[in-house]
Amino acid sequence: MNPQALMDGLITGSMIGLGAVGVTLTYSILRFANFAHGELIAWGAYFALAVAGVLGAVSGGFLAPIGPFSFGWALPIGLLAAVALTGGLALVVDALLFGRLRSQRSTVIIMVMASFGAALTLRSLLEFIFTSKPAYYTQALQIALPLGGGIRATPDQLLSLAVAAVLVVAIHLLLTRTAIGRSMRAVSENPALAGVVGIEVRKVVRVVWLLGAGLAAVAGISAGLLVQVRPQMGLDLLLPLFAAAILGGIGSVPGAMLAGLIVGLSEAFAVQLIGAEWRAAIAFVILVLVLLIRPQGIFGRPE
Amino acid sequence: MSVELVAYAAFFLTMALTYAIMCLGLNVQWGQTGLFNVGVAGFVAIGAYVSALLTTPDTPERFGGFGMPIAVGWLGAALAAGLVSFLIGALTIRLRADYLAIATFGVAVAVQLVALNLEPVTGGPFGIGFIPRPFADLAGNPLAFSLANLALLAAVVVALYLALERLVRSPWGRVLRAIREDEAAARALGKNATKFRLQAFAIGGGIMGLAGAAQAHFIGFIAPDNYVPMLTFQVWAMLIVGGSGNNRGAILGAVLVWGIWAGSAGAFAALFPPGEQARAAALQIVMIGVALCAILLLRPRGILGEERVVSRHLGRLSQLRRAGPQPTDKETSRAGNP
Amino acid sequence: MSTSQPALATQNLVAGYERDLPIVRGVDFSVRKGELVVVLGPNGAGKSTFVKAIAGLVPIHSGTALLGGADITDVPAHEKIRHGLAFVPQTENIFATLTIEDNLRLAADILPRERQARRIADLYKMFPDLAARPSLRAGQLSGGQRQMLAVARALIVEPAVLILDEPSAGLSPKIVGEVFSRLKSINQAGVTIILVEQNVKAALAIADRAVILVEGLVRHEGPAATLADDPIVAELYLGVRHERRAS
Repeated sequence: MNPQALMDGLITGSMIGLGAVGVTLTYSILRFANFAHGELIAWGAYFALAVAGVLGAVSGGFLAPIGPFSFGWALPIGLLAAVALTGGLALVVDALLFGRLRSQRSTVIIMVMASFGAALTLRSLLEFIFTSKPAYYTQALQIALPLGGGIRATPDQLLSLAVAAVLVVAIHLLLTRTAIGRSMRAVSENPALAGVVGIEVRKVVRVVWLLGAGLAAVAGISAGLLVQVRPQMGLDLLLPLFAAAILGGIGSVPGAMLAGLIVGLSEAFAVQLIGAEWRAAIAFVILVLVLLIRPQGIFGRPE
Repeated sequence: MSVELVAYAAFFLTMALTYAIMCLGLNVQWGQTGLFNVGVAGFVAIGAYVSALLTTPDTPERFGGFGMPIAVGWLGAALAAGLVSFLIGALTIRLRADYLAIATFGVAVAVQLVALNLEPVTGGPFGIGFIPRPFADLAGNPLAFSLANLALLAAVVVALYLALERLVRSPWGRVLRAIREDEAAARALGKNATKFRLQAFAIGGGIMGLAGAAQAHFIGFIAPDNYVPMLTFQVWAMLIVGGSGNNRGAILGAVLVWGIWAGSAGAFAALFPPGEQARAAALQIVMIGVALCAILLLRPRGILGEERVVSRHLGRLSQLRRAGPQPTDKETSRAGNP
Repeated sequence: MSTSQPALATQNLVAGYERDLPIVRGVDFSVRKGELVVVLGPNGAGKSTFVKAIAGLVPIHSGTALLGGADITDVPAHEKIRHGLAFVPQTENIFATLTIEDNLRLAADILPRERQARRIADLYKMFPDLAARPSLRAGQLSGGQRQMLAVARALIVEPAVLILDEPSAGLSPKIVGEVFSRLKSINQAGVTIILVEQNVKAALAIADRAVILVEGLVRHEGPAATLADDPIVAELYLGVRHERRAS
């Protein structure tokens, strides 16, 4: 077995994990599986691409690589802008679609269907604006550094891993240690009672969209940096995201991250065994196994 | 000229009717039973590939075909898609409603992958060609050929429609509606409710498989590209436009949306220069997506609406009466939703 | 504010989940400061819907609800607590997946930061059972303890009016006695309490006054002591309680 698969799996897994944390949060608060979450990932990646592109056009200085990394300051600035813009996009979609459906007291399944419609619309909009041709944040090639044990990684890859780790710890602390985190857990358990206790559910919903979309944007930018930026990138990640969110247990942030890593590592090792063309099937197999053996997930409580 | 026009109209209608079959299948799952299938394309693909394998002549470079009659292919298609639906349903139907959606989405992804990569069976990215077409001996006369195919598909749709209408009005169909409309009824039925829903899901999936087979034989070749999420989306749009729970609406919606789709494709294509045709196609999907969301917001029961809406309203009233001054937990949480 | 001002009042309140189907059909109701009033009535009379409407959980179609003279008819549910109105729902009135401590902190979060720790400590002093195991998941508490946690949580913000929807539901008679005597002492400490109850006897024993709703309207009201022997109560209740058992 190739030890490099471990590194590849961790990197893919950290991106899946970030996306799955967003899925699990929106799922537990808004109470439906959001099929448009993959599109937030893709939009995040393109927002960063657009902002970084503008910055690069303004001054070549923004493109000069920072330290050992392949990208210049245009990308980190683009990332911050993308997090904000993707959050804004999620709020707009909520205001136009999901929020209205909630106030009409639509059933879960209508919400799921609407998210399916929103996903196709958002994805095709990206294709319309940017075409389906792959794009890249940087043309620079990076040499993978040997880390020992036959494992190599580029500085970009190590940075994405670190960013993912920091974000997950931060989100976990936010949920467990702060007032807004308590409010989110309360709304997730019982929105009506949360209102009675004085929590403004609408505010919590907004915070959850911002968090989920922000994490999605970071995941998208990581994927864009390490692989490429494509309108379909969110769709390709959607099944792994759902598999990870369910495997981790809906509502559990550490669960989603851990499960993301499990899915990523399984993909990486399976690719060694059965070939890269079957990568997308791994998430489906994991999903079926979880639903068969432990539908509440690793950290979930049975319903 | 008029002969060509009639031939084209027949072609258009025949295609629309293959979608109408998919819509009828989806209507059994969603309209009658409230089960959400996000993998319609996958079940249609299963039917198309199974029938193609069964009916094409033996081909040395891939597994099969078996050169069987078309009717056997169609039957096999329905059975195979029905079986996969049954298995996925058995896995998820007891769980949260959206787990079924996620699992069916997974089926579509997996089927797409198999179609693309299992080359010795599916022909890989190039798919399977030379699928026998019904009335092939009429091929010399395009008009007669188109009309014969249209007649065949129309007969299939009418037969399905009549069968499904009977089913809807049978005790089985009434139980399904009761389960969909009334959580308490569903709970009272317990295990049986799961059984009924599973049956409906498998029947719906089987009908989608049949639709896939019918379409494959009508066009004569299949490839993985035909079974992308876009197809699922189109079928959904058709059912939603026609009105879920309404079989006539499902057929009408299919013809209508297919007409709009085919018509607007030309219009969008004309708006963009030849080099930008991919953009035109993307924009077309955006428009349809916005339209679907708008219908969900404004007329969630479809444009034609559902038959016997009255029973639904009465159901809600009686639920309220029962709940009276101590509404159920469900209502408590509903009231507090943002 | 003058002492004659009612702590809470409704004028011709019409409310219900659906606009064409009001369950509360024009209720005039008033509670004096410091009073403990019990709302009685047969099953389906609209008692629960009535208090939920005041709490903002059921849409009010027309009429007004006043808290200490201020109009709270259109105040959203989550704002009512900031106006001094606390509500304890009948079921699922605690966050079972959160710890006891988090349940209380959640309620304290709307207070100014400097008062939060103080109020939680006060409530722990008042309910030593809860103080013993602050990091226990609330879902593991017994029925009576849950009810106490729900009351404690409601009291954190020192509300002027506390409304409880059937606090005795699902509790054994002995626990009901404990809960009710607790409520009485909270009332005696100055909190105005409105109690919706099916448990007529226990409720009338601690209440100052009772209001009887029938089919969404006030049918009768009077001092609790006299109502206990009132034939109207017997007529409305004996049959009803029977029917309830049977269903």
